[in-house]
Amino acid sequence: MHYFIELILIGITAALIKNFVLYYFVGICPFLGVSRKIDTAFGMGMAVTFVITIASFLSWTFTTFILRPGAPFTAWIWGMINPGSEVVVDLSILSYIIYIFVIASSVQFVEMYVRKFFPPLYKQFGVFLPLITTNCAILFACLEIMKHVSGVPDATRWGLPEALVLAIGGGLGFTIAISIMAGIREELDMCDVPEALKGPGIALLVAGILALAFMGFTGVDRGLASLFS
Amino acid sequence: MSDKGYITTAWLVLSLALLFGAALAGVEMLVADRIAANKLQETLSQVSVLVPGADEGKAYELEGQVFYQALAGGERIGWVIPAAATGFADKVEILIGVDAEVSTITGLYVLAQKETPGLGDRIREDAWRAQFKGKSTDSPIAVTKVAKPGPFEIRAVTGATISSKTVANLVNATIASVREPLQSAGE
Amino acid sequence: MATDGPTPLERFISGILPENPVYRQLLGMCPTLAVTNGMQAAMTMAGATTFVLVMANLITSLIRNLLKPHLRILVFTLTIATFVTIADRFLAAYLYQMSKQLGPYIPLIIVNCIIISRCEICASKQGPFTAIADALGMGLGFTVALASIATIREVLGSGTWFGLRVLPEMWPDWVLMVLPPGAFLTLGLLLGTVNWLSSIKARKAKG
Repeated sequence: MHYFIELILIGITAALIKNFVLYYFVGICPFLGVSRKIDTAFGMGMAVTFVITIASFLSWTFTTFILRPGAPFTAWIWGMINPGSEVVVDLSILSYIIYIFVIASSVQFVEMYVRKFFPPLYKQFGVFLPLITTNCAILFACLEIMKHVSGVPDATRWGLPEALVLAIGGGLGFTIAISIMAGIREELDMCDVPEALKGPGIALLVAGILALAFMGFTGVDRGLASLFS
Repeated sequence: MSDKGYITTAWLVLSLALLFGAALAGVEMLVADRIAANKLQETLSQVSVLVPGADEGKAYELEGQVFYQALAGGERIGWVIPAAATGFADKVEILIGVDAEVSTITGLYVLAQKETPGLGDRIREDAWRAQFKGKSTDSPIAVTKVAKPGPFEIRAVTGATISSKTVANLVNATIASVREPLQSAGE
Repeated sequence: MATDGPTPLERFISGILPENPVYRQLLGMCPTLAVTNGMQAAMTMAGATTFVLVMANLITSLIRNLLKPHLRILVFTLTIATFVTIADRFLAAYLYQMSKQLGPYIPLIIVNCIIISRCEICASKQGPFTAIADALGMGLGFTVALASIATIREVLGSGTWFGLRVLPEMWPDWVLMVLPPGAFLTLGLLLGTVNWLSSIKARKAKG
């Protein structure tokens, strides 16, 4: 299959078929918490997409060159210390710690950068940035990339384009889900919801119906793949 | 707060990092072998099921791909071939058992799948997998919906034609591509 | 909560129902939804989370007097990530099938808000004994929540409980319940039920 089509399929899969929120259940906290107004929901979605892309770029770099078994940079250092050693160094046990620090620092960095150089943008979604550190969607993207980079044969190892497409696709999928959710909740405000279900209860039920709708995308990737191959 | 507070904190973070580093290294030394063995074991434990009569499995690398030899008393009596393809929902990973000449399928095992529960995931069931057993590799296997499939046919799981076809096509494609190299590796 | 804070027992009990992390505080929703399609997976997850919670609370409580506010979150994260890695490796070594099934959700414990919020709210202000009691209470509350959702989903969705058949063979598996939408619907309805019951209780208390 053409490499370019493969990239598109990774993106569509991450955004729609296996939507981060509605299929993998990551990023539920902001999905329920920041989905009362379409504007804020969209701002949150964009902020997540931005951070997810940067964090994925960094974690891909770290995993490929340092953390995975047989990573070139680690092997080089190891070779300097122990010349002639045949041992394959595997630092993947440090992956989780490195990822969480990569995420925390990229959130900090993005916040500072945006505040300094794009004040209007900062006014719009700066408030969401600190919240994003504990957003599981970001760590989840890093882990998905790790699955395709660490401990896989060279032929199927993901390069940077695949990792970035997954990150952007996942971020856009999050934005789509949270924006649809906000649209529905704005309408729900005018409805007579049973007292006990008000707030998160009805939001979860709506999310269930949304997840049902998104299940309809299952198999689209296979169909597209067979169309182009 | 004086400067002294910062120095205490710096020492604290440093010593915590060292402590945790040591803990992780200890855990890794303790369980790393076991994890590696687990991964291998899952495949190797299937060898004797997939190739009847085999008492030992051994990894065999050919053209950058890993196969498993099924050995009986030290002699090769078959192969176990790992393969993967995209099914209805996600990747389907299977193991195919064949005899030493790659002329008959001796078994099929589903390592990992995320097909629809109750429909597609029935490809894991023994009865369905058993259909592949004894099929000749002379002709590709086709998927049918009739009650009594022919010699080169298997019956689809009801309501999961796509999952069934994925497995059948994967078996066909894998055997077609590895038959030659494995046969010559036998010599 | 400074010096004369609640006793360990009080903290332990409050975590289970009055301040249940899932139903009351709406924390840790990702694993609550993602791994509750079977009891085995849900209980493994609850065990791993409780382990990390206890260890992180213990460490935080021991070093609470040395911590500077601005480094607090960093140290919490470091602690949590370390213990999650340890839990992950042990699961891969001793419960390999389970660790394969749970996949990314074990490392995702790192960003489980329950743990960091307990470190912040309780452990950084209390002694180690209280902190452990609090962690155990919260862990048990999380376990109860996961168990309730997983029971409904597994029994209705596959007719089994802990992998053992409980409904007669003629039960047509309600496949939707073990698929993603079932998670949202079950949790939404359970949340509504809990709110409804507590509102009845409140009304009765008022007279």
